Amino acid sequence: MALIPAQPSADPGVKKDMEAVAALDRDAELMLRVREGDDTSFALLLERHRGPVVHFLYRMVQNPSVSEELAQEVFLRVYRSRATYEPTAKFTTWLFRIATHLALNWVRDGKKEKNQESLDEQIADGMDRQVRDRQPTIEQEMLYEVKMSEVRQAIDALPAKQRAAVLMHKYQDLEYAQIARALNCSESAVKSLLFRAYEALRSRLAHMAG
Amino acid sequence: MNCPTRKNEDAEILLDYCAQSLSPLQTVEFERHLNECGNCSRLVEAQKEVWNSLEAWTPIPVSSNFDARLYARIAQEQAAPSFLNWLRRILQPPVPYSFWKSAVPLTAACAVLALGLYVKTPDAPVAFPQQAQQHQVHATDHVDIEQVEQTLEDLDILTPAAQSPTGSM
Repeated sequence: MALIPAQPSADPGVKKDMEAVAALDRDAELMLRVREGDDTSFALLLERHRGPVVHFLYRMVQNPSVSEELAQEVFLRVYRSRATYEPTAKFTTWLFRIATHLALNWVRDGKKEKNQESLDEQIADGMDRQVRDRQPTIEQEMLYEVKMSEVRQAIDALPAKQRAAVLMHKYQDLEYAQIARALNCSESAVKSLLFRAYEALRSRLAHMAG
Repeated sequence: MNCPTRKNEDAEILLDYCAQSLSPLQTVEFERHLNECGNCSRLVEAQKEVWNSLEAWTPIPVSSNFDARLYARIAQEQAAPSFLNWLRRILQPPVPYSFWKSAVPLTAACAVLALGLYVKTPDAPVAFPQQAQQHQVHATDHVDIEQVEQTLEDLDILTPAAQSPTGSM
């Protein structure tokens, strides 16, 4: 893919769009440049959102290779629809709507069961890697592993929509309105989803207190 | 302030407090409430515990070849025939189409149309005004013939031949 340096737009239509989104966010501005054919802006968007999208999907599907595959699909769809992109909402809202849609489809299609076996193995590997990096004691390592296993199970036990809402709320710092748009439901529905999800998590993780 | 444990609608403040996304003024107000409300302080403690547990869940790092794989896929798509790319855009939209949103007014329009057709269609076949007029004319003719027959019968009775053969009074 040819990478072209970002150039200011000469097209008055694009200028108008950019003025409209100036207050909205920098990402939408970058995406408008991608629409013009500026691939450097796409690289910048990828750099900014690669981590959050992969991490969100990893926590949703709890499988590293599947989460990366889905994240690739998210960015591929972003790039594919660059020509028709309209900055009607924050870029992150749109991005997480795509990611949520793909993750919910993956969960709905029952692919989760097929990957369950490899999931445990991969998660265990991931945990080992994370824990080793910090050089903790064996006892700390075991405690951490047990704790994280319970957290993962508690998150995994949530209905897919509640899970997505909690992950966007907790890790992506999205506002209620943004989560609502990503999940294609009302803001009050999101609050209700979050309340029920955190209630379930409180009861499942209550024994970990203290 | 309303106790967040009493109404689900007010629970938002509890979540926002734990996420530290309340304004300073709201935080002070909510902390004042926490000092007085045992239910809320217990709930906040439990929520903070959940929050901290989730905080500790660090994701695995992204593969170093993630971008390279993505650009390879993009290049592959760009090299593909344009109709394939067009198909992909149609069949794999970035966000799902909201079919139900367009289905609601469409269903409502169909229902109104069906109702209209049902009301306008009587049990008997619909007759055009001209046909109806002809039908009325035929009906009138039929009554006239009956009347004529009846009249003729009455006349037969009244004629002398139809009376008794003697004809005497």
